[in-house]
Amino acid sequence: MSAAVPAVFEAVKVDYAAIAPMLVVVGGALIGVLVEAVAPRSTRYGAQLVLTLATIAAALVALFVWAVPHKAVTLGQSLAIDGPALFLQATLLVFGLLGVLAMSERFGGKSADAFTPMGASSPGSPQEAAATRAGFATSEVFPLALFSLFGMLIFVAANDLITMFVALEVLSLPLYILTGLARRRRLLSQEASLKYFLLGAFSSAFFLFGAALLYGFSGSSDLKLIARAITTNSSQMNGLLLPGAILVLIGLLFKVGAVPFHSWTPDAYQGAPTPITGFMAAATKAAAFGAILRIAYVGLEVSRWDWRVGVGLIAAATMIVGAVLSVTQTDVKRLLAYSSVAHAGFILVGLLSFDGNGIAGVMFYLVAYGLATLAAFAIVAMIRQGGSEATHLSQWAGLGRKHPVVAGIFGLLLLAFAGIPLTSGFTSKFAVFAPAIHSGGTMGVLLVVIGVLASAVTAYVYFRIIVLMYFTQAPEDDVVALTPSVATTIVVTVGVLATLLLGIVPGLLLQLAQDASTFLL
Amino acid sequence: MSNAPGTGEAVLFWILGPLAVLGSLGLIFAKKAVHAALGMALTMIILGIFYIAQDAHFLGVIQVFVYTGAVMMLFLFVLMLVGVDSSDGLLETLKGQRLATAVLVLGLGGLLTAALGSVTYPEPAGVKSINEETGNVSAMAELIFGRYVWVFEVTSALLITAALGAMVLAHRERLGKGRNQRDWSKRRVLRGEYVAGLPAPGVYARHNAVDTPALLPDGTPTPLSVSRVLTARDQVTTPERYVEAEDRIAGQIEEDSSR
Repeated sequence: MSAAVPAVFEAVKVDYAAIAPMLVVVGGALIGVLVEAVAPRSTRYGAQLVLTLATIAAALVALFVWAVPHKAVTLGQSLAIDGPALFLQATLLVFGLLGVLAMSERFGGKSADAFTPMGASSPGSPQEAAATRAGFATSEVFPLALFSLFGMLIFVAANDLITMFVALEVLSLPLYILTGLARRRRLLSQEASLKYFLLGAFSSAFFLFGAALLYGFSGSSDLKLIARAITTNSSQMNGLLLPGAILVLIGLLFKVGAVPFHSWTPDAYQGAPTPITGFMAAATKAAAFGAILRIAYVGLEVSRWDWRVGVGLIAAATMIVGAVLSVTQTDVKRLLAYSSVAHAGFILVGLLSFDGNGIAGVMFYLVAYGLATLAAFAIVAMIRQGGSEATHLSQWAGLGRKHPVVAGIFGLLLLAFAGIPLTSGFTSKFAVFAPAIHSGGTMGVLLVVIGVLASAVTAYVYFRIIVLMYFTQAPEDDVVALTPSVATTIVVTVGVLATLLLGIVPGLLLQLAQDASTFLL
Repeated sequence: MSNAPGTGEAVLFWILGPLAVLGSLGLIFAKKAVHAALGMALTMIILGIFYIAQDAHFLGVIQVFVYTGAVMMLFLFVLMLVGVDSSDGLLETLKGQRLATAVLVLGLGGLLTAALGSVTYPEPAGVKSINEETGNVSAMAELIFGRYVWVFEVTSALLITAALGAMVLAHRERLGKGRNQRDWSKRRVLRGEYVAGLPAPGVYARHNAVDTPALLPDGTPTPLSVSRVLTARDQVTTPERYVEAEDRIAGQIEEDSSR
């Protein structure tokens, strides 16, 4: 301990080039808060949208121009800007860009369509109606999304447990708020927000408890020093290591929605405003898996034989429960939530291979799944009946006849989720399953078998929806797909193009992921 | 130099430790929010004492300031908003949930106790040498603004998010113009009702609280004199006992004067 405290104060060295993307994002978020404070109400939506998009684009440029040539462990071991961190940060920024575009959809109205005009008004109250008439808008959602993105960027680069914990909170807190701001079915949205918040706080406590135990074990919160302590410490201290590792992993597995820590997923996904659901599903999953990769491959790799089987069981349970429960769902958003649970299981299979190809496979999967998910939720937001979102499956019957293009695109995305060849779903499943068979041992093979069976079950679910959309007589009702603006069109187009390109020519991105799969210590 | 705890510290620990555990159990099991808050305050103060006993003076003081000061104040503000009398609903919505929770919690607790109990801990490092060489506060400052400066700065994003979230979720902007006193008065006169304003709550010889209605000339209490919020919360008392006491005193005075 005394060695950690220098006698004279030394300022920590900062590699500003390496952390430039994060600084740009948080700077944009702070300006967004100022805009909220000073700009007149009528200009806020436009100003916030331009500012947010420009911020994320600038962060992407900063990432490629400054951070990529500057791989470094900086800020006194707090951040490791290495291959996986940069790959996932770029992925997250792209998800953020598409997510913000989807959030900005107005469908011809005055303010963003998915968000309530006034979060503080009671649902269904005269005040809410008055706020709608007055053209109010919750334009705070844009800075909140940027703060969340800031937390995610730190989360995938966090090189010690304290930074990781703070990043976890920074990324979660704005999401809890955003979840409760839906324009329609607001009680459901507020309930979802509260559930997400309470369970999220609960999982943070698990993470903290585990981090405290690991600190007790190694005398440090740095992943590097924890890894060193695992090799040098006597086995008398192992009573701290294993509970610590398990509790930290529980805290992180909660965020990806692995069974049995998934119970918040369907409720939060259903209640949240649909573009937020898409952003959560894509970006939170990418960020959380980035952190799990770093913990598993940098911090706890040496002790992996102690906890590998446990996480393997969680992966198996996640795939089985996610696949089986998605069969029984009648709501599109809940169905996609359970599908995201199953996908978390597939990604865990690749993660447990402990192989460079496994890291590359996981990162490839996150990109492919995230882009398809963002597009899928953007489409869910378009399907309406009587002004509210038509999320019940029965409302989707015969949609293929009324809106062949929209239903066709959604069908293609579902095929990708099912893992049909020539879509990104197939190549990404291959990218995580192949390393598991190659270097995952017996457990890897077993998990892949379960994964393939679970994929078959989920494929049944997706085909059922496609059959429902195309081969069922449409009931005489007013379910329509709204005409999207340029923003949503971009999101859907990017999602569809990525799904096809990554399915047909996955080599480029896979190579990029492989080149980026080395952690810096 | 041994950093093992001395006798005094051990005695302190074994007296205050169980109290801290009791306080935290009270936080979980107390049915009234006020009792839970007091249980938490007890636990937090005792933790602060422990830190000070272990030479971490700065941490101990901050613990008392932040938790028993700031956090408990927030807790009490929330209690003021929801009402002191509010208590948890104890209805079990999912059948068998409480039993399953108890089993799982005891299982987890047992596993953790077994694992942590099996560890042979090395000699505690302690902070005595740091306190003597660098100084307690300086050493903390060097870590916070040196090694952990990034985390320290990032925390500000958390605070801004919290402030922004509170505004989004709780701040109601006024839509349109509200009525001022003049408007209200005009409206009363136009409608011809309560032209002189609503009656004030009851004022009795020994009592003048706002939750006690005033009496009409015929002796019946008027609900108009009590805030409708109190009526909705069912917190209105009846004026009977004050009236009875007054009558009794009046009676006694009469008796005395007639004697």
